[in-house]
Amino acid sequence: MPNIVVLVKQVPDTYSERRLSDSDHTLDRDSADAVLDEINERAVEEALLIKEAQGGEVTVLSVGPDRATEAIRKALSMGADKAVHVSDPALHGSCVIQTSKVIAAAVGKVDGVDLVIAGNEATDGRSGAVPAILAELLGYPQLTHARKVVIEGTTIKVTRETDEGLTHLEASLPAVVSVGEKINEPRYPSFKGIMAAKKKPVETLTVADLGIDAGEVGLASATSTVVEAAPKPPRAAGQKVEDEGDGGAKIAEYLVGQKLI
Amino acid sequence: MDFSLSEEEQSVRDWVRTFVRKEIQPLEQEVLRRERANQPGLTHDVLVELQDKAKASGFWGVQTPEEYGGMGLGAVMSALLEAELGRSFVQFRFGGYADNILYHANDEQKQRYLLPTLSGERRSCFAITEPGAGSDARAIRTSARQDGTDWIINGEKTFITGGNEADFTMVFAVTDKEKGANGGVTCFLVDRDQGWRSEYIDTMGEWGPAALVFEDVRVPKENILGEVGRGFELAMKWIGRGRYMLPARALGACERLVEMAVEHANTRVTFGESIANRQAIQWMIADSAVEIEALRWLVLHAAWVVDQGGDSRHVQSIAKLYGGQKANEIVDRVLQIHGGMGYTRELPVERWYRELRLLRIYEGTDEIQRRTIARNILKGHASISGTLG
Ligand SMILES: Cc1cc2nc3c(=O)[nH]c(=O)nc-3n(C[C@H](O)[C@H](O)[C@H](O)COP(=O)(O)OP(=O)(O)OC[C@H]3O[C@@H](n4cnc5c(N)ncnc54)[C@H](O)[C@@H]3O)c2cc1C
Repeated sequence: MPNIVVLVKQVPDTYSERRLSDSDHTLDRDSADAVLDEINERAVEEALLIKEAQGGEVTVLSVGPDRATEAIRKALSMGADKAVHVSDPALHGSCVIQTSKVIAAAVGKVDGVDLVIAGNEATDGRSGAVPAILAELLGYPQLTHARKVVIEGTTIKVTRETDEGLTHLEASLPAVVSVGEKINEPRYPSFKGIMAAKKKPVETLTVADLGIDAGEVGLASATSTVVEAAPKPPRAAGQKVEDEGDGGAKIAEYLVGQKLI
Repeated sequence: MDFSLSEEEQSVRDWVRTFVRKEIQPLEQEVLRRERANQPGLTHDVLVELQDKAKASGFWGVQTPEEYGGMGLGAVMSALLEAELGRSFVQFRFGGYADNILYHANDEQKQRYLLPTLSGERRSCFAITEPGAGSDARAIRTSARQDGTDWIINGEKTFITGGNEADFTMVFAVTDKEKGANGGVTCFLVDRDQGWRSEYIDTMGEWGPAALVFEDVRVPKENILGEVGRGFELAMKWIGRGRYMLPARALGACERLVEMAVEHANTRVTFGESIANRQAIQWMIADSAVEIEALRWLVLHAAWVVDQGGDSRHVQSIAKLYGGQKANEIVDRVLQIHGGMGYTRELPVERWYRELRLLRIYEGTDEIQRRTIARNILKGHASISGTLG
């Protein structure tokens, strides 16, 4: 009966326009609708599938501003049992290492963790480093980019999928897994689940509660910061090829010109 | 005064928003293509598939009482969900719906009509309008004459939504000419195979209602819904079942349409500048934003009065009238902002333009709503200070 922690993050909705703030180049959270990151929905789904097959408990963990309760509630309405929410103004502008330290300390607050499941990369920051750093900090094996996860007793088997191909990994629990896009199709929360979510326990912690000094986190002491940001230039207009019976040849010519073929 | 949503309300609303975005909007191009080939946009099979998917998450029978397996949601929540569905022109609705007056059926009728309608096995239609009686529904002439324990129905109904697909109808007929609408109209549940036929009516919309023809259709007395002579009350009950739902759907459509207009305004360049920088365009966006905001609160307020159990007819008429008027003005502006593209069938704007026109006609025309509102005010049934008094 694995005890699972799922890391979830609230991110700006990819359907809305996303921006960095002008003052410190951190995420402008007011400019876009905020949602539970879709990759995290897959992480929650995987945890719920394991729980449904083997029992256990699913705790969602989020480090983020107060508003992240919405993302937490979504995960709870999907079926997670409880949540830990680390929210502290001192965290503003934290880098991946600082964030991972906070997550590691928060995972330590959950008793007897067997498995931590994360998405392999958030759709906003896209550094894709937190699961690995977290595994290092916790001293757990890391099994990233999972396409398939199987738990047998205290052993975890993961099919890892990258551009290079499939790798079959095996480790003993406790472990950190990060899941990819193809792992599953996340369920819709059920109406009953939505109604039940409000009654599920959410523990809210500050960095001080985790025994971390506020000076160790946040923009001022971050190991990486965004120095400058510019919006992507609009895509240049494409080149139209009129097909006068020789369309194929013209396209081939163009591709050769671009050194693509 | 609290204008915010509770956590549950927000989650339920967001669920539908996601469902529309992930399951319904991706069908839009195909639905447009089919409609333009004169086929039903959303086939019954696909509709049922979507309804089943929603049902798997418990989204079924939005207002259907929990004892029938529904969600039993109130009017405000239902209006919020309807507005989300309105964000697509695809005619999706959740399963598990049955006309409110079918709950007035006796136990045996409930087995034959209510339960199979809820489960989707049977399809109903509501038939009061006649060629000679629309706004003036009291003028209906379809008659039912008693013959032993049976009744024989003769007459014609028109503009009946769902009349082409329905396998039974709730038809209103005069059973006592003297009394007419004051105790002389009765509602009958009549199966198609008991002898009525339907004729498709082509409209400017993407789907057409039907004319229903009754020629000596014989029905046993067991098919009377409610009591003999009490039909007109049922008809009024059906019409009053949730008038706020019509402008709620239009609200969602307006939101989506203005989003499309904003995107177009921001990307379309004329005379070296984005049209979004032109005051003429900005004012169209501003007016639409103001009216959408007003419509949103008129709809939610009307729904709120329904939930409070008060007499909601006045506020529902206000929301329906305003929704019909403003949705039509807004879609016209959105079409204008799109220029020639707005007039084409490449985009769904012209489709919405035609569909929203209906809102000013059915379930009480603009004029009839104004008549109701004016009468309420003039006779002192409603205060010009609104529900705050
Ligand atoms: C697509 C569609 C679906 C429909 N679905 C159904 C259905 O499912 N079941 C059903 O029973 N009916 C249905 N109807 C009928 C609909 O409710 C009527 O069309 C509507 O009530 C108007 O009636 P009418 O068409 O006879 O117009 P009329 O009543 O003839 O009105 C003509 C015009 O005169 C105005 N007018 C009428 N009386 C007054 C007055 N006293 N003062 C000022 N102006 C007035 C009207 O507002 C309108 O502008 C549907 C109609 C349409 C178009």
